[in-house]
Amino acid sequence: MNIAELLPELLKGLANFTLGNAIMITAALILVYLAVFKEIEPVLLLPIGFGCLLANIPLAGMTTAEGIMGVLYKAGIETELFPLLIFIGVGAMIDFSPLLAQPRMVLLGAAGQFGIFGTLLLAIALGFPLNQAASIGVIGAIDGPTSIFVATKLAPELLAPIAVAAYSYMSLIPIIQPPLMRLLTTKKERLIRMDYAPKPISQKTLVLFPIVLTIVVGLLVPEATPLISMLMLGNLLKVSGVVDRLSKAAQNEIINIATLFLGLAIGATMSAAAFLNLDTGKILVLGLIAFVLDTVAGLLFGKLMCVLSGYKINPLIGAAGISAFPMAGRLAAKTANDEDPHNFILMHAMGANTAGQLGSVIAGGILLSIVSKLV
Amino acid sequence: MKYNVTIKNKSYVVEIEDINARPVIVHVEGQQFEVIPDNNPVGTEVKLEPVTANASKAKKDTKEVISFDLRKPDPNQNSNEMIAPLPGTVIEVFVKAGDIIESGQVILIIEAMKMKNSIRSTRAGKIAEVLTSVNQTVAHKQVLVKFE
Repeated sequence: MNIAELLPELLKGLANFTLGNAIMITAALILVYLAVFKEIEPVLLLPIGFGCLLANIPLAGMTTAEGIMGVLYKAGIETELFPLLIFIGVGAMIDFSPLLAQPRMVLLGAAGQFGIFGTLLLAIALGFPLNQAASIGVIGAIDGPTSIFVATKLAPELLAPIAVAAYSYMSLIPIIQPPLMRLLTTKKERLIRMDYAPKPISQKTLVLFPIVLTIVVGLLVPEATPLISMLMLGNLLKVSGVVDRLSKAAQNEIINIATLFLGLAIGATMSAAAFLNLDTGKILVLGLIAFVLDTVAGLLFGKLMCVLSGYKINPLIGAAGISAFPMAGRLAAKTANDEDPHNFILMHAMGANTAGQLGSVIAGGILLSIVSKLV
Repeated sequence: MKYNVTIKNKSYVVEIEDINARPVIVHVEGQQFEVIPDNNPVGTEVKLEPVTANASKAKKDTKEVISFDLRKPDPNQNSNEMIAPLPGTVIEVFVKAGDIIESGQVILIIEAMKMKNSIRSTRAGKIAEVLTSVNQTVAHKQVLVKFE
C-alpha cells in the first residue's frame, strides 16, 4: 500500500467537510459560548450546541439510527419521552398556591397564549402548510417541552429550528420583554400596588388541585393529557409531602438527565443539510414574533383587568401570563420593583405565570386535537 | 410643612407631613394622599407620580390638579412601623435596634418563590425594635421593624 492511496483515507473527514458544516459549527460554538461565558440558559444551550457540533462532523456516524444521537432521538424525542420526563420535574418545581389564592389570574394565562394563534396565521400567510404552521405557532406557548411535544407529532421535520427558536428566545426574555412592558404601560400603571389574598391555601386544596385538573383537562382536551398529567404528577409528588425523595429526584436527577439527552438529541438534528435553509430563517423570525405577540396580548389584557378592577391590578403581571416559568413572573415583579422599590407584585406575577404554564399546555393540546383532525 | 400651590389661578393648601417618609403623606384641601416621589437630586423640581388609584378620581385629579394622585393611606399602616410588603421567609436582616437608617436603605431580605426581595426602609429614622429574625416566615403586612 503506498502513501498516495492512504492519504485520501486519512483525509476523508476533511474532504467531506462542507461550507455548511463550517457555518453550523460556528453556530454551535456561539451557543456554547453564550452558555459558558454569558450563562444564558446553560443547561439547555450547552448540550444543544455540542449536539449541533457533533452533527456537523462528517462521517462520524453519531446521528445515524445506530449512533448515540440517533438512538437518543428515537428513544426520547420520537416517543416524546424526554419532554414528558422534563414535565415531571417542572411540576415538582411549580408552586400553584399564588394561582389558587387568586383564581382570576387564569384569565391572564389564557391571554398570554394569543401569540400561538397569531403566529399560526402568519405562518400560513408565509406559505407553510397547516401542520407546520401549527408547530411554528406553538413556539408561542413559550414552553420548550410543549413546543417539542406538538412539533414532534405534527411536523417532526421542523423540530430542530422550532426547539432552537423556543429555547433561545426564552433565554432572551429579559431582553425581549422589558421594552414592551415599558412601551405598553404607563408609569402610573406600573406603580400600582396589589393586595394579597388574606387566607393561605390549605394542604387539602393543594393536593386536590393536580388530581382534579388532570381529570378535567384530560376529559376536555384528551390530546393535552400526556403533558398535563406528567406536570400534575410532579406537582402531586411535591405537595403531598409524603414522597420527598421522589419529589427531589424529579426536581434534580430526572429533569437533569432528560434535559441533557433532549438537548443533545435536538442539537444533533441541526446538521447543515437539514438546518441551513430559508424555512429555518422564517421560523426564527416567526418565533420572535410569537414571543412579542404573547407579551403584547398579555399586557393589553392586564391593562383591561386593571381598568375593570378599578386600578387595583398592576398590568405588568399580564406579561407573566406567557408561561416561561419562572422567568417571566420574576421579570414582571422586578420591573415593578425597579419603578418603586417598595412595590412587590411577585406573588401575583407568579400566579399569572403558573396560569400561563397551564394555558400553554392546554393550548398546545387544543392545537394538536384540531390540527391532527384537519390534516 | 404647609405650601400654597397655585394651578390655573386656583390656589391649594398642601401640607406635607414628613418628607423623608415613603410614601410621603400629603394633605390637599382636607384630603389625605400618599405620594412616592422620583429620586431626583435635591434642588430639582420634585415630580409627583401617581401611586395607584381610584380610576375616575385619578383621571380627574390628573387633569385638574397636578400630575399626581393618590391613594388613601392604608389605615392599618402606622408610619412608625415597617410592614412586610409580601409574604415569604426572612433570610437576612441587616439592621438592629438603635441603628439610624436612611429612607430607601435595605433593611432585610425576604425570599419568596425562590426570589430574593430587598425590603427597603420606607422612612429615615432610628430603629426601636426589630420584630423578625432570620428563617422566620412572615405574612403580608406583618410588622417587621418599629421606629422610635
